[in-house]
Amino acid sequence: MIDRLCDQAGGQNAAVACFYFDFAAQKEQSPTSVLGSLLKQAVGGLEEVPGELATTYENQKKVIGGRGPQLSGIVRMLQTTSSKKPTFICIDALDECAAGYRVKILDSLNQILDKSPGTRVFVTGRAHIRPEIGRCFAGRATSVSVSPKRDDIITYLRTRLHEDTTPDAMDSSLEAAILKKIPEDISEM
Amino acid sequence: MLLGRTCTELESRLEEIDWTAHETPQKTPPFFGLPVILLSPSPIIHNIQNNKKQKMSQYFSNNENSLNTVTTVNVSNNFTVADNRSSILAWLSPLEPRLRHQDVRASRVGNIGEWLLQTKEFRSWYTGSEGGESNNAVLFCYGNPGVGKTFIR
Repeated sequence: MIDRLCDQAGGQNAAVACFYFDFAAQKEQSPTSVLGSLLKQAVGGLEEVPGELATTYENQKKVIGGRGPQLSGIVRMLQTTSSKKPTFICIDALDECAAGYRVKILDSLNQILDKSPGTRVFVTGRAHIRPEIGRCFAGRATSVSVSPKRDDIITYLRTRLHEDTTPDAMDSSLEAAILKKIPEDISEM
Repeated sequence: MLLGRTCTELESRLEEIDWTAHETPQKTPPFFGLPVILLSPSPIIHNIQNNKKQKMSQYFSNNENSLNTVTTVNVSNNFTVADNRSSILAWLSPLEPRLRHQDVRASRVGNIGEWLLQTKEFRSWYTGSEGGESNNAVLFCYGNPGVGKTFIR
């Protein structure tokens, strides 16, 4: 998805920023780090670092040991960069984000959309966070259920079988059985 | 690995240096281009230091001030990097989601998930960006673990 957006968006000079949540990294994936990472990608695509960001950076350096960026500042700068340039934000596995952080992250994204309604946010996650998304973004969110499609499963199996490192163990009847049985089982998921 | 290489480089540089030749404090031997190593000596460095101990101590005693000066200069070289842009970006967040993206990209197969791009929900979300409409700014794709949400084409 991200690559597709990058390919298509490249033509219209759009920015694409992504983030992947992970249960194992819940602690590090705080709202400040996550939004900071999105801003980092947005700024990385610009020719020049915005003046506001450079000034904030210089100011914090005066404090002994330096200070990390603040969420409010990051959100403000994301609002600015995303209103100047079409921006896509892709967030994977939002359900793996710590619940307390998730509220703040959704709220920050919503604030960005308030200022820059053209920004597109793509989110994936398990169904149980759907009400939370609906509440936060109100009328702004649309949901699509993702389930494995038979053709996709067969494409996937064929590719993996083709890459098999022990092809001698395979014969046509086993291959046919795999291509029949696995898609059947998955469609019952 | 990196440390090992640095050590080898250090060793060869040490060989090049004629310690006794440095009479003047203004000249900086290349050895001090690597101040971090000085703070965390490895066994290799230890050996080098032992071998060179006499010459080094001679050098340092000749020129005690230059050690401080040189170290200070190098610390500032390491931490207030000239490339301001990359320091600002690094300061913004330590996380690198692009690395995970590379993994996903590498293990993805063909056009799997293409169907999603044909749905009216996706199209309306995507085209909305051109009109700047506030509707459908967020597209939420939900499903059970393992159904392929991450790998949508």
